[in-house]
Amino acid sequence: MALAQTTETPIGVGAQQRSVSPWIAKQAPNLLLGLVLVLLPAVANDFILDQILGWTLILGMIALSLMFLAGYGGMVSLAQMSVAGVSGYMIAVLGTSSLPKISLFWPWWVAAPLSIGIAVLFGTFAGALSARTEGIYTIMITLALAAAFFYLTLQNWPVFNGFNGFTTIPAPHFLGVNWRDPVPLYYMILFFAALSYAVVLYLSRSPFGLALQGVRDNPRRMEAIGYNVTAHRIAAYAFAALIAAVGGILMVWLNNQISPFSIGIDVVINLLVIAVVGGLSHPIGPFIGALIYVILRTFALDALVAVGLDGRRFQTLIGLGFLIIVLFSPDGVVGIWRRLSERARAAGGRNGA
Amino acid sequence: MSTIAERLAAAGTGNAIELRGVSRFFGALAALIDVTLSVRPGERRAVLGSNGAGKTTLLNCVTGDFPPSSGTVRFFGEDVTILPPHERIRRGLRRTYQISLLFQGLSVRDNVYLACRGCSRGRYSFIRTRANDAIMQSVADLISLVHLEAVADRLVGELAHGQQRQLEIALALAGAPRFILLDEPAAGLSPNERGDLVAILTALPSHIGYIIIEHDMDVALRVVESVTMMHNGRIFKEGAPREIEADPEVQQLYLGGGHG
Amino acid sequence: MTQAFGDQGADQAPGRGSAPAEWIGRNPVAALVIAVAIILALWLVLAPWPAGFEDVFGKKRLFINALFNGITLGGLYFLVATGFTLIFGLMRNVNLAHGSLYLFGGYMGYEAGQWTGSWLFSYVIAFVCCALIGMAMQFLIFRRMEGQDLRQTLVTLGLSIIFSDLMVWVWGGNAIQIDTPDYLVGPVPTPIVVAVKSSGEAVFLQYPRVRLVIFAASVVIGIAMWLALHRTRIGVMIRAGVDDRDMLSVLGYRVQLLFVAVFAFGAGLAGMAGIVGGTFQSISLGEDSHFLLASLVVVIVGGMGSIPGAALGALIIGCSEQFGLVYFQNYATVLSFLIMIIVLAIRPQGLLGRR
Repeated sequence: MALAQTTETPIGVGAQQRSVSPWIAKQAPNLLLGLVLVLLPAVANDFILDQILGWTLILGMIALSLMFLAGYGGMVSLAQMSVAGVSGYMIAVLGTSSLPKISLFWPWWVAAPLSIGIAVLFGTFAGALSARTEGIYTIMITLALAAAFFYLTLQNWPVFNGFNGFTTIPAPHFLGVNWRDPVPLYYMILFFAALSYAVVLYLSRSPFGLALQGVRDNPRRMEAIGYNVTAHRIAAYAFAALIAAVGGILMVWLNNQISPFSIGIDVVINLLVIAVVGGLSHPIGPFIGALIYVILRTFALDALVAVGLDGRRFQTLIGLGFLIIVLFSPDGVVGIWRRLSERARAAGGRNGA
Repeated sequence: MSTIAERLAAAGTGNAIELRGVSRFFGALAALIDVTLSVRPGERRAVLGSNGAGKTTLLNCVTGDFPPSSGTVRFFGEDVTILPPHERIRRGLRRTYQISLLFQGLSVRDNVYLACRGCSRGRYSFIRTRANDAIMQSVADLISLVHLEAVADRLVGELAHGQQRQLEIALALAGAPRFILLDEPAAGLSPNERGDLVAILTALPSHIGYIIIEHDMDVALRVVESVTMMHNGRIFKEGAPREIEADPEVQQLYLGGGHG
Repeated sequence: MTQAFGDQGADQAPGRGSAPAEWIGRNPVAALVIAVAIILALWLVLAPWPAGFEDVFGKKRLFINALFNGITLGGLYFLVATGFTLIFGLMRNVNLAHGSLYLFGGYMGYEAGQWTGSWLFSYVIAFVCCALIGMAMQFLIFRRMEGQDLRQTLVTLGLSIIFSDLMVWVWGGNAIQIDTPDYLVGPVPTPIVVAVKSSGEAVFLQYPRVRLVIFAASVVIGIAMWLALHRTRIGVMIRAGVDDRDMLSVLGYRVQLLFVAVFAFGAGLAGMAGIVGGTFQSISLGEDSHFLLASLVVVIVGGMGSIPGAALGALIIGCSEQFGLVYFQNYATVLSFLIMIIVLAIRPQGLLGRR
């Protein structure tokens, strides 16, 4: 069972049937999901919107950046949470927070793009360090980088304010809307999550995305047919960093604070758990994984106590779930879904559909 | 098959590949010792020898998989000794591998597409290629050239061995190759498939030269006009196929002469 | 040609004289720089510091203490990192549960010490417990995932999450210190001058005996491993496997036995290191992550799959941490990571690693 087999329709073939109705038929599940998410605020309360869905979409986005690198590129980068952390910290430092002696209070339309830019630079740097080594080293190097960033934020006070971090980092007002309110914030998060999902899905069949998959499958052959494998990998890290960076800013606006413990090693590892459990072979995987994680995190305490176990053993639960997936369905929930639908199709075929 | 003279005239003068004093050591093991070799543009040459004679190492030095321990490599007059592989590809060098190096998770069409894209612009493009783009036509042409139309949209992992070897050749023909290195293309092929291979190779445009490494003398000698024999890392004989086949020293070293 | 674990690099023609001499010939400037650095280091350590020098750089006592602490800490890091690099080098498995094994060994050693009163015996218990876990991991789980490097690593990750949480459950969040046995307590006089009294009399460094003993033990273990790898048949198999894993498959069923043995040994070493760490400092929740990260950094700096590399990396990181603590308080850990980043940028395979 491969961890990621990401090919769907062959290039050129699907595009030939560019009339509208078949395209809608193929995109139906995505569109339906989109519709449900857009209409959700009508029925859901603020808690569900912010704490459940907001976190799901944000963690999903950051995990999507991991999935892009790991699923399409074969590079399991544990630095993505740190990239999000960089942009999250930068928006606090450059923009508004409760610490006037550090924050610069620049307007959001200056602070946000700058923060994203700095985070992308950091992500590209992480890629440059790990791109020249074999795939299995990537996990080691990026984990060490994530730890380095954690210790930096923990021990540095002039810029990162040490273990206190920053609080009161609000989303801005613009277009007459207070984006801090639950419903507008939800739509903003939904917009960026959907956008990144769509872009990653589209990119997977573009020359860049296909080349990345080639690099994953056989870097030596890619060199032998004219690709600069290292450059391609670094470019992939840069693109993934963009998604993680946007996720980082949204995370800070939702959470209203950031500290070293938002980006500590356990959070970094949980992000990998999310991506793997959801499935590395399709962009919807990270979001599925994030939903499972957020629901578990919110309700696990009560559930564990209800069965008579210690409510604090949440991490054991996570570890067990993760282990079960890796042992029995390494391509995650997406993989389970795929196998079930193949079996259903085969059964339908046998019964003379 | 046009005469050598005609083909040379078409391809221009100067050597396509030139190795001078190339040696390659792995620790204390000498894989190549002072190899000097030149191949003209459009020439079809076989490099033969027993296992461990240094044939694959020779190929690896030419493609840039690793640099030689000493000596120079020139490709169409340019010194490429320390150039990375993808740069040599851009200059028209291609290679196939003894054990197919394909993209297992992608379809046949995607594999060929990647090879075509590799030497064209737009490798980093974020925009999907439209079906009527010229490159898709090249992809389709290459697929029919190696007779893989029937399985064009299947994943490589599902192909039979012979089909994978054919795909391997298609990847080397993508873009505008000027010279191809073929590493035991006939390995593991059935007699029918070997016939196919010979047909594909002899049908190649005359300006494309190649070096073919083979154990199967039958296939090799049918598709080349000159032969280089290697032994223990050195070149020990060069000549026309018939000469080499009949040579007593060669026959002594490789029992049974030209029928390996 | 096996080149693992400290053999010389590739691309040499035969019969060219000894490798170090050749290296000096090819890199005269680097050799000169290293020679000067060694002479400087020897002077710094052995000679009393002149007063003006001490005004600028601080007391020699501080420096010598940091140096000795760094070297002995390096011994501890070597014990942990060596198991990690062995498992990675041979089985291509990034054992992210290595820190958990360290911590578990420390806890078990502590319990054994409480129960029997013997510090030495606790090492045996820790080694055996962790070796058994390592054996189980390789035999029950990883054997079925032969060739799937990433998947194995993810399994170690899942296990480390579970182990970590279970250990918090059993032993809580308190820091536990393992007592130094009586026969090792107390300082040992050394011939290193740390200061000169106004009377002209030299003051010599007194250093804790237990730290010196443990460092000596690490060196002995390191040498023993090197000998085992280079002089025994199993050692040859391991080095060959690190070089070229496919070649090992030719050897058939023994391969799995080898993997189990290596995993067990590496895990056992980590467990023993846990007792060392508990004696030097303390063990508590969070130390598993700390020592996993330390192993990562040491192995990245020293070279992946290389035991001399683990020794070199451990020494560098141990010293950088201690010097960082003394001279750059706020950024002690960041200094180690900085070294790691520099090594990655200049020589991605590590100082003694092979490409």
